[in-house]
Amino acid sequence: MEIIASSLAAGLLFGMVLALVALGLTIIFGVMDIINFAHGEFLMIGMYTALLTAQALGIDPLLTLPLAALVGFLLGVACYKGFISYILRGPMIAQLLGTFGLMLLLRNIALLVFGSEDRAVHQGLLVNKSFDIGLGIIIPATKLAGAGLSVVAFVAVWLLMHKTRMGKALTATALNPQGARYMGISTEKMNALAWGIGAGTVTMAGALIVNFWPVNPYVGLLFTMIAFTIVALGGFGSVPGAFFAALVVGLITEIPGFWDFLTYTLEWDWMFDVPMTSFKYMWIYVAYFIIMVVRPRGLFGWKH
Amino acid sequence: MALLEVDNLVKDFGGLRANDGISFQLEPGELLGLIGPNGAGKTTLFNCIAGKHPVTSGKIVFDGEDITALRAPEVARRGLARTFQVYAASGDLTVRENVMVGCFMRTPSRRKAGEKADTILADLNLMAAADQHVSELPVAAQKKVTMATALGTQPKLLLLDEVAAGLNPGEIEEIMASIRHIHHQLGVTVILIEHVMELVMRTSDRLIVLDYGRKIAEGLPDEIARDPQVIKAYLGDRYVKEHGGEVG
Amino acid sequence: MEALKNAFDFSDQPRLDMTIAGAVGTLFLIFPLLPLSAFALATMIQFFIFSLYGMGWNTIGGYGGQVDLGKAQYVGIGAYTTAVLLIRWDIPFWFSMPIGVVFAVTWSFIIGYPLFRLKGHYFAIATIATSLVLKDLFEVWEFVGAARGLEISPIEYVPPDFLRLIFKEDIYYYYVIFVFFLAGLLFLNWFRKSRLGYQLRAIKDNEDVARSLGINVHWAKIKTYAIATAYVSVVGSFHACYIKAIEPEDTMSLDISILIALMAMLGGAGSLWGPIIGAGILIPLKSYLKEWLGGMSGLAGMDLILYAVIIMVISAKEPRGVWGIVERIRRRKRT
Repeated sequence: MEIIASSLAAGLLFGMVLALVALGLTIIFGVMDIINFAHGEFLMIGMYTALLTAQALGIDPLLTLPLAALVGFLLGVACYKGFISYILRGPMIAQLLGTFGLMLLLRNIALLVFGSEDRAVHQGLLVNKSFDIGLGIIIPATKLAGAGLSVVAFVAVWLLMHKTRMGKALTATALNPQGARYMGISTEKMNALAWGIGAGTVTMAGALIVNFWPVNPYVGLLFTMIAFTIVALGGFGSVPGAFFAALVVGLITEIPGFWDFLTYTLEWDWMFDVPMTSFKYMWIYVAYFIIMVVRPRGLFGWKH
Repeated sequence: MALLEVDNLVKDFGGLRANDGISFQLEPGELLGLIGPNGAGKTTLFNCIAGKHPVTSGKIVFDGEDITALRAPEVARRGLARTFQVYAASGDLTVRENVMVGCFMRTPSRRKAGEKADTILADLNLMAAADQHVSELPVAAQKKVTMATALGTQPKLLLLDEVAAGLNPGEIEEIMASIRHIHHQLGVTVILIEHVMELVMRTSDRLIVLDYGRKIAEGLPDEIARDPQVIKAYLGDRYVKEHGGEVG
Repeated sequence: MEALKNAFDFSDQPRLDMTIAGAVGTLFLIFPLLPLSAFALATMIQFFIFSLYGMGWNTIGGYGGQVDLGKAQYVGIGAYTTAVLLIRWDIPFWFSMPIGVVFAVTWSFIIGYPLFRLKGHYFAIATIATSLVLKDLFEVWEFVGAARGLEISPIEYVPPDFLRLIFKEDIYYYYVIFVFFLAGLLFLNWFRKSRLGYQLRAIKDNEDVARSLGINVHWAKIKTYAIATAYVSVVGSFHACYIKAIEPEDTMSLDISILIALMAMLGGAGSLWGPIIGAGILIPLKSYLKEWLGGMSGLAGMDLILYAVIIMVISAKEPRGVWGIVERIRRRKRT
C-alpha cells in the first residue's frame, strides 16, 4: 500500500511540474500552429541557468527562478525574431525540421560550453530534506517545492493571459488570428510574445526540475516528447487541458511503482522478470500514440 | 428505371438541418439544374449523394443499387463522379497527370490511362495545356480540368458544383459548350449546381430549387421562373408583395 | 512487362538531366578505382545507404506529403533481423534480408493502420513516438543484446563471403550497395509513374478530390508506407553486415529518422533526384565536418552546430530544396 501511495504522490507532484513544462508548448501551438522541437532545449537552458547562477552566487537554485524566466523570455523572443518567423510560412516539413535544427544548435552549444557530464544541485535549502506525510509517503522537499511553485507559475501565466490586455490579445490571436488582425492586434508581436512566454515558462520549469534532476546537454528530448504527449492529451492549444493532462502523464511516469505494487500483491513470477523501470518513459510514447488514435482531440476534448 | 433516386434525405450538422427531407428522381440522359440561395444546402446534397458526408436518414439509390451507406471512393467506382467548388490545386501535377489520376480508377495501366486522358483533353479543348501545371492556368481552364478529371473515371452521372462561378461571360459560354458536349456527345447524365441563373435556365432540362434545406419547387425552367415560392426565396417577401409575383 | 518497361523509361526527364545522371553514374562505377582514401570510399557507401533511405522516404513523404519522422525503426528491424539470424542460426544475408522486409512491412501495417488516421503535426510526432517505443523495447530485450547491441564477428567467416555479405575490403560493399542503389532508383522511377504513385500525388494535392476519384486514401497511404519501409529495411540489413556492430542507439535514434527526412527535403522532396542530391550534399558534409572538427579537443559538437545551422538556413530559405531551385529556373526559362 505504501508503494502505491508514494507512487501516486510522486506522480502527481511530478505532473504538476510537467504542467509548467508543457504550458509553453501549448501556448505557442495555440497561437501559431507550429510544433517546437527545441522546447526541451529551452528547459535544459533553464536548468543550467538556475544551477550555474546558484553556484556562482552561492544562493539556493529556487531563488534563481525569475532570472531563468527572464533568460527564457529573451531567448524565446530572439528565436522567434531571428528564425521562427522565417519558417512560419513554409511547408510543414520545413517547420518541423527547422525547429529540429534549432534543437541541435542549442544542444550542441550547451555541449561546447558546459561539457557532456551530468551536473546536479548538491547544496540548497531543501536538498536532502523530506517530509513524511503519513501513510508511509515520504516526499523530497525539492519536489514538493517544485510542484508548488510550478502550480503558482502556471496560474500566474493563466491569469496573465486572461486578465491583462496583452494576454487577452494573445488569447484572441490564438482563437482567431484573422479577426485579431482586424482588431488591430499585430500578429507578429503576438507571435513573438507567445514565444517569449512559451520559452520563459519552460525555463522556469527547468529551474525547478534541476533541483531533483541532473542536467546534461542531452536532457531536452525526453522533456520535448513528454510535452508533446501532454499537449496531445490535453488537446492542442488548450491551457487547462495541459494541466490535467500533465497530472496524468506524471502518473504514467510512475508506472514502474504501480507495477511493483501489483507484482508484490499478485506474486506472479513472470512479473518480477519485467524490467519495468527501463520502460519508464516508453509508456509516455505509447500514451501519445494511443491518445492520438483514439481521441485525436485530446482526452478532455477541449479544443478551440 | 431512374438513374438516381433520392428518397427523403436528411442531413444534420450538430443542431443544424442542412438537408430536410429531400426527394427527387433523375432519368438517364437528363441534365438537371439544382438552384437555390446561398446556404440552401445544395453542396451538402452533393456531398451526401457522393458519399463525402454520411446521411442522417433517407435513402439514395444509384443505378438500381442502394448507395446510401457507401463512402466517396466506392460511390465513384460505381460511376458517380463530382467536381468541387473550391479546389486549390497545389500545382504538383500537370493537367494530363490530373486527368490520368481519374482514368487510373478504371485501369492500372499507365499507357491506357494516358490514352484515355488524351481523348478527354482533346474533347474539352485542353490539349494545348496538357503539360502545364494546373496552378499556372487561368480559372476557367482550371474548372475545365476538374471536369476532365472527373470524366476520367468514366461516370454515368456527373455532379458539377458551380463550375461557372467567378468566370466572365465569354468563359461561361466556353464552359457551357463543354457541359453540353459532355451531356450530348459523351452521353453523361449531369446534375448542375449553379448560381449563374442564365446558364442553368438555358442548359437544364429540368430544375430543382432548394431553400433552407428543403425542396421548394421542381419543374421545367419556364415553370420555375414563374413560381412565386422560388421568387420569394430568391428575392424576399417584400419584392413579391410589391411586384405581385411577376419577374421582369 | 509494362511495369518493367516503365521502370527503365526515363523519357519524360530532360535530356540534360539524363546526361548528367549518366556521367555521375559512370563516375560512381569507376569511383573505387580512383586513387582516393579509404575514408572517401566509406563516405560513398554511406552516401548510397542514405540515398536509398531517402528514396524510400520520398515515396510516402515526398510524393505523398506525409511527414514521416520514424524511419529509423525500420532500419533497426532490418539490421537486427539480419544480425540475429546470422549470429544465431548462420542464416545468410540474402535470406535474412527478405525476412527482415517481411517483419518490417508487417510492423508497418500494424502501426500504419492507426497512424494514417492522423494528419500533419500529429502524424509526424506519432511516427517519432512509435520509433522511440521500438528503440526502448530493443534496449531491454536480452535476445537481441539489449543496449549493448549485437556484433557480427568477421573471424568466424571466410571473406569474401558473398552469401553472408562479409567482406574485408570496402570495395565489395561499395559495389553491392551500388547495385541496390540502381535497383532502388529504377523502382522509384516505376513507382512515381504507377497508378499508386499518381494516386498518392493526388492525395497530397487534396484528399477529398482524391476520394471522389475512387481512391481509398487510407489504404493508398498504408501501401506506400509499406514500400518506403521495404526500402529502409533492405538497407538496414545491408548496414548490419557492413558495420558489423549494431545497437539501438545508432540504428534507431531519432537523429537517423530526421536525417533521412532532411536529406530528402534538402534535395527536393517529391522529385526523382531530390533524395540523391540531398544525400550527396549532406553525407559528405557531415562526415568531413566530423572528421575535421569532431576530433579537435575543446570543439566537441562543433560539427553538429554547423550542421544545425545548415538545417535552419535551408528550412528558412529553401524549403523546396535544390530541386525546387532547378524547377524555378526552368519555369522562368519556359515563360
